[in-house]
Amino acid sequence: MKKKKHAGVERLKSRYGLLFVAPFIVGLLLFFVFPLLSSVQYMFSNISFEPGNTVITWTGLENIKYVLFEDPYFINNVVKGFSTFAYSFPLILVVSLVMALILVQKFRGRILFRGISFMTVIIASGVVIEYVLRYQGSDITGAGVETSIMEDMIDVESILTVLGLPTQISGYFQVVLNSIMTVIWNSGIQTLLFISGLQAIPDQMYEVSKVEGATKWEEFWFVTFPMLSKILVLVSAFTVVELFTAKTDRVVSSAYTMMQSQNYHESTAMLWIYFLIVGVVIALLYIPFHKFCLKRWE
Amino acid sequence: MRREASAVRRFTRSKAGNVVYFLFLGVFGLFSVLPLIYCVTSSFKPLDEIMLFPPRLVVVARPTFENYLSLPNLLSNLKIPLSRYVSNSLFVSILTTALYVFISTMAAFVLAKGNLKGSKIIFMIIQFALLYTSYTLAVPQYLVFSNLKMIDTYAVYIFPYLASTMGVFLMKQYIDGYVPNALMEAAEIDGAGYFRIFFRIIIPIVKPCILTLTLFGFRDVWSAVPQGTIFSEQLKTLPQVMAQITSGGIARSGSAMAVTVIMMIPPILVYMISQSNVVEAMSSAGIKE
Repeated sequence: MKKKKHAGVERLKSRYGLLFVAPFIVGLLLFFVFPLLSSVQYMFSNISFEPGNTVITWTGLENIKYVLFEDPYFINNVVKGFSTFAYSFPLILVVSLVMALILVQKFRGRILFRGISFMTVIIASGVVIEYVLRYQGSDITGAGVETSIMEDMIDVESILTVLGLPTQISGYFQVVLNSIMTVIWNSGIQTLLFISGLQAIPDQMYEVSKVEGATKWEEFWFVTFPMLSKILVLVSAFTVVELFTAKTDRVVSSAYTMMQSQNYHESTAMLWIYFLIVGVVIALLYIPFHKFCLKRWE
Repeated sequence: MRREASAVRRFTRSKAGNVVYFLFLGVFGLFSVLPLIYCVTSSFKPLDEIMLFPPRLVVVARPTFENYLSLPNLLSNLKIPLSRYVSNSLFVSILTTALYVFISTMAAFVLAKGNLKGSKIIFMIIQFALLYTSYTLAVPQYLVFSNLKMIDTYAVYIFPYLASTMGVFLMKQYIDGYVPNALMEAAEIDGAGYFRIFFRIIIPIVKPCILTLTLFGFRDVWSAVPQGTIFSEQLKTLPQVMAQITSGGIARSGSAMAVTVIMMIPPILVYMISQSNVVEAMSSAGIKE
């Protein structure tokens, strides 16, 4: 589209282009760019709502100081967030890659299993997923208890009693079951992305590796995996975002609670600091990956 | 064509390998499907059967529609009939999804094929926005709404999604990958204008991506719960009602299951309509970076 000769026509087209893109740009400015900039402002200010208007006063680094040094839970929550990340991230990646490797092949029932794996993507959003994975039930005494459908379905304690094992360890089993559940229900889109990446690998690559006498194991590590590197980056980025911005994340949920009790400035500061930390850590993880793996594969 | 060929290749594995694979599939399938089956069967169980110990997954001894039939009564203290929530949900979801898909396609077309100044910057903002959570933006967005006098109107549901960046991102990647420049130039030489190129050439080619966006858009809008911007009961949607019912405690668990099942149906319907196109459209997001 680089034709310089019809300057007038090009300008006209550019004007039409502006018309096409305008609704999106307006929306982006109003509901993303402007809120983003003002949230940066909130980080350094105090907000109070008075009838009719919002008062924003500049307080410098007060909020940041509060979050880092005075909030008793913040550091703890960040550590918890990262420890959840440390086990869920590799698990989600491996599970979705293996699923994709299986589902990309032809076998009887493939359509059914593809349907099932995608069904989780369709349903797993918002209220329903929260309900399926962890909902606020209540026990017989009427006190609120966090429970999940998995716990309802599989009664770990009675199984353990039948097997003659001490019931004290049932807590661990429930944690493991819930984690498996969370991983599987969060790996739908990743599986989808991996499937599409696998389908884009040209067949010739596999023919060559077969001619060269590569084993399946070598074929995976020297053909499939390098060819997936770009998809891998995309999937990783997506998973990182999904994990750190989930409503179940401790920092996000505590910021949300603060927001509900009208501590907007502190909660905004908290989220910004958290995402900066996450960003730095992810960058630190990504740079060596980029240097040693991606560069070599290209 | 190449896709089909690559899908057929290599399924030569040892018996043991097959067993491991199908074991994995089985566990995966079990964990994905069981909760759904449990939801559906529980929604047809009377309360004492839900509370049965140990719980039964599939068998329903005395199936009943009570949980569904009692839903309107549960809400009677709210003075608004259940049908109002359902129609609100459908209205908001369908309208928003349609607008979202259309606006994203137009914007993506220009960003991919137009020669607009600053489209690089716009695309950078889009990629940045993709990696961003909505919580930080909740308060500033509230202020935008309140300045535009949109609080407590349907606009609160609709407008934030129109600037959703995921759609533009996917669509731009798709257009980059599937619409050859030569095709556009040929159309131009034949005298097609901007609008004609868009409606006659772009839209038919990007149909798979449009269906994918419809699916994801509908899914997100359908389950969206606006934070503190909707107060009138007659403007609320199903997810908000569902939250109220599920927080009703143990006596409501049957009804909670019933609402969950109702909530699941429309996205599944949309999925069935659009399913064959989804993988194809997602693949283009990966090919080009």
